[in-house]
Amino acid sequence: MAHFDTEYQRLETSDNDSPPGGDDMLVHVPEGAKSQWHHIENLDLFFQRVYNLHQKNGFTCMLLGEIFELVQLVFVVALTVFLANCVDYDILFANKLVNHIQHEHETIKVTLPDAFLPADVCSARIRDNVFVIFIMIIAGVFWLHRLVKFIYNICCYWEIRSFYINALRIPMADLPYFTWQEVQARIIEIQKEHQMCIHKKELSELDIYHRILRFKNYMVAMVNKSLLPIRYHHPLLGNAVFYTRGLKYNFELIFFWGPGSLFENEWSLKPEYKRGGNRLELAGRLSTRILWIGVANLLLCPIILIWQILYAFFSYTEVIKREPGSLGARCWSLYGRCYLRHFNELDHELMSRLSKGYKASSKYMNCFMSPLLTVVAKNVAFFAGSILAVLISLTIYDEDVLAVEHVLTTITLLGVCVTICRSFIPDKHMVFCPEQLLKVILAHIHYMPDHWQGNAIATETGTKFSQLFQYKAVFILEELLSPVITPFILIFCLRHKALEIIDFFRNFTVEVVGAGDTCSFAQMDVRQHGHPAWMSAGKTEASIYQQAEDGKTELSLMHFAITNPRWQPPRESTHFISQLKGKVQREATSGQQGALPENHLFTSIQSIQSESEPHSLIANLLVGPPSMGSFQFGREGHAAPQISSAGGSDVASALRSLSPLSTSQDLRGSYTSTHPPRSDGTELTGARGMAGSGTDARTASSGSSAWEGQLSSMVLSEYASTEMSIHALYMHELHKQHSQTEPARHTWHRQESDDSSESVPEESEVPHGLPRSATFPSASARQHPYQEQAALHSSGQRRHGGTTVSGGPRAAPRFSRLPMGGWAEEVQAVRHHETVPEEGTEEELPPQIHKLT
Amino acid sequence: MNCRSEVLEVSVESRQVDEAMLALLHTILLHRSTGKFHYKKEGTYSIGTVGSQDIDCDYIDFAFVRVSSEELDRAMRKSVGEFKDALCNSGSDGVGQISLEFYQKKKSRWPFSDECIPWEVWSIKVNVVSLANEQERQICREKVGEKLGEKVINIVEVINRHEYLPKMPTQSEVDNVFDTSLKDVQPYLYKITYQITDSLGTSVSTTMRRLIKDTLAL
Repeated sequence: MAHFDTEYQRLETSDNDSPPGGDDMLVHVPEGAKSQWHHIENLDLFFQRVYNLHQKNGFTCMLLGEIFELVQLVFVVALTVFLANCVDYDILFANKLVNHIQHEHETIKVTLPDAFLPADVCSARIRDNVFVIFIMIIAGVFWLHRLVKFIYNICCYWEIRSFYINALRIPMADLPYFTWQEVQARIIEIQKEHQMCIHKKELSELDIYHRILRFKNYMVAMVNKSLLPIRYHHPLLGNAVFYTRGLKYNFELIFFWGPGSLFENEWSLKPEYKRGGNRLELAGRLSTRILWIGVANLLLCPIILIWQILYAFFSYTEVIKREPGSLGARCWSLYGRCYLRHFNELDHELMSRLSKGYKASSKYMNCFMSPLLTVVAKNVAFFAGSILAVLISLTIYDEDVLAVEHVLTTITLLGVCVTICRSFIPDKHMVFCPEQLLKVILAHIHYMPDHWQGNAIATETGTKFSQLFQYKAVFILEELLSPVITPFILIFCLRHKALEIIDFFRNFTVEVVGAGDTCSFAQMDVRQHGHPAWMSAGKTEASIYQQAEDGKTELSLMHFAITNPRWQPPRESTHFISQLKGKVQREATSGQQGALPENHLFTSIQSIQSESEPHSLIANLLVGPPSMGSFQFGREGHAAPQISSAGGSDVASALRSLSPLSTSQDLRGSYTSTHPPRSDGTELTGARGMAGSGTDARTASSGSSAWEGQLSSMVLSEYASTEMSIHALYMHELHKQHSQTEPARHTWHRQESDDSSESVPEESEVPHGLPRSATFPSASARQHPYQEQAALHSSGQRRHGGTTVSGGPRAAPRFSRLPMGGWAEEVQAVRHHETVPEEGTEEELPPQIHKLT
Repeated sequence: MNCRSEVLEVSVESRQVDEAMLALLHTILLHRSTGKFHYKKEGTYSIGTVGSQDIDCDYIDFAFVRVSSEELDRAMRKSVGEFKDALCNSGSDGVGQISLEFYQKKKSRWPFSDECIPWEVWSIKVNVVSLANEQERQICREKVGEKLGEKVINIVEVINRHEYLPKMPTQSEVDNVFDTSLKDVQPYLYKITYQITDSLGTSVSTTMRRLIKDTLAL
């Protein structure tokens, strides 16, 4: 019995330990939301703002900039209204005497306030003028809209500012000295702790780029596939490109964010556009929308036009007066920026690339100065200059000359005239080497139609290039004309493309987990969008419709991998990158031993090297910080063998780092046995050392922590651009080789179109339109054998194309709706037949395409 | 975009609509509810108990488990009832979608109201079929039961994945994460919306709101 009691007792004590509902129940400690940065609703906007704030150099700069913009707007309107209504021009031009005090003598001075009308007269005049009131009301509404937007933005960016300070731990004062890559590395770092994006534990660089550049990638892809109506064939002007900011704005309004646009919100395409079923109905709707937006544009046209004119007048007049030559200067056109942009390339990356190419490009365009114009300009400058000289000497002798009516005007006009003429007279001491210049340009802009190389002196190439790199004056003119032309382009050109646009968005939108709907080209997947002629042969499964033109996929992939070394590409892409880097590296090795003539890297590097102008590529690339010791070593290599071997091992390690997958053992062996380079190879060694050390430094540090010193990060980004330049040159070289020596069935449709239109007439006669100098580079001589070869091939292909026409009629209508060439719209008819042997890819084409006609 | 979304699709007869919907919604909510939090000093809390009960369906061969909270059940029945009425009155081919959206509130600075940021959205697409005779109804009864069983397993699989959930809040923030208005249970903040037919255009108000937001955005 006692035994039972004890059992019972024990149960009771255990009961005492945890009474039901008592204090000792399981207790939790809340984590709480420590940061306000977890789970951000609109990550697109968030990252865009983070990027914008970084680009605008911090909150204060941005705030000031926006305030000044608002003030500027008020100022422009106020000044215009004032000038139109409150100035007595008769007094200003001294047609009428100042009447407030009647002096007997004529020595009174007219002051500026004399010319102003009194306030009451002035306001009465404004009140009577309905047009002015109308303009002012519109300006007022516009300004209020801007003001509200400004206040809203300030509130939003204040949040971003505190994100920088509290989460990223970057004080605003230091922001200008951080590169975007560093900021990005920190964002990726803090994602682990804050979980801004809830889909993934970790963000990748590509996720951030996708979100910031979602719509830009679409635009780049559409320009790449020639979907947007921005290139025209005009009977008088020939092939012209018209792409202005107004047009771009309208495109974006229609596709991305306007009312009823294709996108539901920032990150997803409306579901009905993803289904192929009712594409015709959707196309119809899109086309009506475009019509309405076009009509709205037409109605608003006068207002926009007035604004453009006023704005251009106030912003450019002063510049033109100060340096009239600036009108003769060039700038990258909007179309050029779109055409040259990689997928996933941020604004600042693009701009720095293009700016590096600016000098070479303007020098190149100077080659095309018409000799006729030069002769005329010289003489006009002479006559104008003589009169100017006389007037100036007279003025110096006696300044009363200035008081004579219109003398000052004449002097000013003559001065402007002389300056303009001078900009048409090429520098006497200038040496033209267009082929080389084009290579240097290519090293920076990375894209170029195939047929330009070897045809650098053709006027055709010049005009095409001028579409990318237009006169500033043309740019301003186009902007001024834009409000008038845009509605017509929308109504008459874009509307017909509605179906193609619907198809484009359906076929080239992929849903990426953690990023939403993105343009599939922006995935930079060589397998899906690779072009066989751009080294992805064998890897790509893309049909012609899916291939990105001009090797955009491949080059973008390289560019992205190089600018973001810590990005881990998908397996296919890793393979592609490592293969390419391996190739570059192998050729560099063989280049050191013998410099074979068909060595692509050698030619590409040589083209950098043989550019004798100190301002161009070498200066940009080679004059690096003193830390680039290996370059120095490489240069002095031939003089001191032991240093050279040091340099050599340096290069070896650098090149090893170029491709981590390759067998580094072989390499080390080959390099340790390296003899001191021959004297003719020294320049090359230097270049390779430079390239190698660049990559070496970058990859080495990319292995270390992300929190690098600011200086080294800057240095790294410089090296990255060098590395990309070399890879771009290499890829173009290889592509050229590929399309010339091996007319594979994948490439001919493109090559033919280029060669047949360009290089055949080119080769038969001496290039025209170029003042050739005695020092014309040997490069052109080197090109000739290839050209002949190319011509041979192209003719062969044409025959081939002819024989396969039998299957043509069926395929032709199908492809006629598929825009393909970046540059070759005029030869599309030829291409339709060529695409016939590609029937194997028919299944891969979206099924809807068949029903097109 | 920064939220998970799951889509379930069911085809049911019109009288089965509310039971089917309740079964699915309650299953989700069962896994997205906790007991009431009792905060104590030192910032800790204990969690109250949650009862559960089995519910048998009348028109479907199916039973489901739900949180035994009358209030929650009433709220569900109300939303589902509205949805069903709208579905019946729409006169269209009886396609609709009801979605259960879990969100959290985020306090923001003065000029803006509090943001409701969804983190998980469950959309149930309903396709109402009409049946000719009693025999078909019997078959349908069983088939829908099986289908719902599959869906419940789907739901549990999704919920078992180790994915983002709002962090457990401190006392002051509990209203931003949990719906504390109910007496006996505390689900994550949720919102039930429905949409009838696959109408292409969204409602006028959302369009307007987007328009204003778009113009304001940079």
